[in-house]
Amino acid sequence: MIIGLLMLGGGAAAGVFGSLLGLGGGVLIVPLLTLGFGLPLRDAVGVSLVCVIMTSSAAAGVYLERHVANLRLGITLELFTALGALVGGSIAFLLDERLITLLFAGLLVYVAVTMARAGTVPAAAGSELDVAPATEDPRANTMLERLSGDGYRVRHLGRGMVGATFAGIASALLGIGGGIIKVPLMHLAMGVPLRVATATSNLMIGITAAASTVIYVVHGGIDPYVAGPTAIGVFLGASVGSRLSHRVDLRQLRLLFVIVIGYTAIQMLLRVVG
Amino acid sequence: MTTPRGATFGAERQLGRLLITLAYVSVALLVGGVVLMLVAGISPLAGGPALNLDMLIPDLAALDPSGLLWLGLLTVIATPFSQVVLAAIAYGRAGDWSMVRIAGGILAVIAIGIAAAVLGTV
Repeated sequence: MIIGLLMLGGGAAAGVFGSLLGLGGGVLIVPLLTLGFGLPLRDAVGVSLVCVIMTSSAAAGVYLERHVANLRLGITLELFTALGALVGGSIAFLLDERLITLLFAGLLVYVAVTMARAGTVPAAAGSELDVAPATEDPRANTMLERLSGDGYRVRHLGRGMVGATFAGIASALLGIGGGIIKVPLMHLAMGVPLRVATATSNLMIGITAAASTVIYVVHGGIDPYVAGPTAIGVFLGASVGSRLSHRVDLRQLRLLFVIVIGYTAIQMLLRVVG
Repeated sequence: MTTPRGATFGAERQLGRLLITLAYVSVALLVGGVVLMLVAGISPLAGGPALNLDMLIPDLAALDPSGLLWLGLLTVIATPFSQVVLAAIAYGRAGDWSMVRIAGGILAVIAIGIAAAVLGTV
């Protein structure tokens, strides 16, 4: 009973943190389950993917109702992300677990550095109303126009496709939503406003995670006894986090997060070495 | 053919409501499963059963925690797929066949993943 409640509480903490900092929570759930509860990494990744779908579905629903997300762009990029997820989900069961742990630790370091810089560096990218120059291929222009939204024009679809494929591989391999790749990809490389990129990423995250979760289910890589309490905790935590966001000092929270995530990265690296 | 984005606005709202509803349904099922699990004194670290579709209904009828938990997890996993299917239907109604093909491509990739995993090739 106590372990179940601890899992629920841990999931809730990951959900609150993830929601306040704009992360899916996968970055926190995998270390929680491996370091906190001694689960094998692959099992933790499977549970994390379930949690990622759960939180992203609810958030994506709200974004769609409010017409913030670009469904057309999300579906188009998702074709490539799903392909990446298929590849990632397949190789996840072939790679040495220590290598996946090492990759995860690398991801944590990247997230910690990104978060630390976010507090000091102003947001990159140009104007949200940047208009991309027309390309020579009229078919490409038509496609880009159809993917564009009110007040912005999508550009560099090819880069988007490559980046989306990479996000799918990372998501399936490491149990993350991949928003940390998709949002900068759409915003910085494709000229999508940040708010729309975040909403569209949320829309895609669920589909990507579901594509790889199916592979984990078939391989027996998801334990319902662990997934149940953790997913409920994450869902509740994310709901609370979204209501707390305007009352919390995000700079202090980000600093705490960087310390926690840095410590977690060291612990995971020690697991690889030890 | 260029279809204005506004042609699917109504469908987007419906899609949004569906996602939110399914998220709450899956949470309710998982809560039921976890309550049964705690009442039965099962530790989350005891190692839960893998998915067995043949046992799902008997487990639900017997109020076995794993039945409700798996039903909840399957609802979670099915939610994004229903999003793609409904988006494809909405685009089909709007006559945007290229988007229907893209959505169909996503479902095909997922189907390939499932088939490959079941056949043991991945």
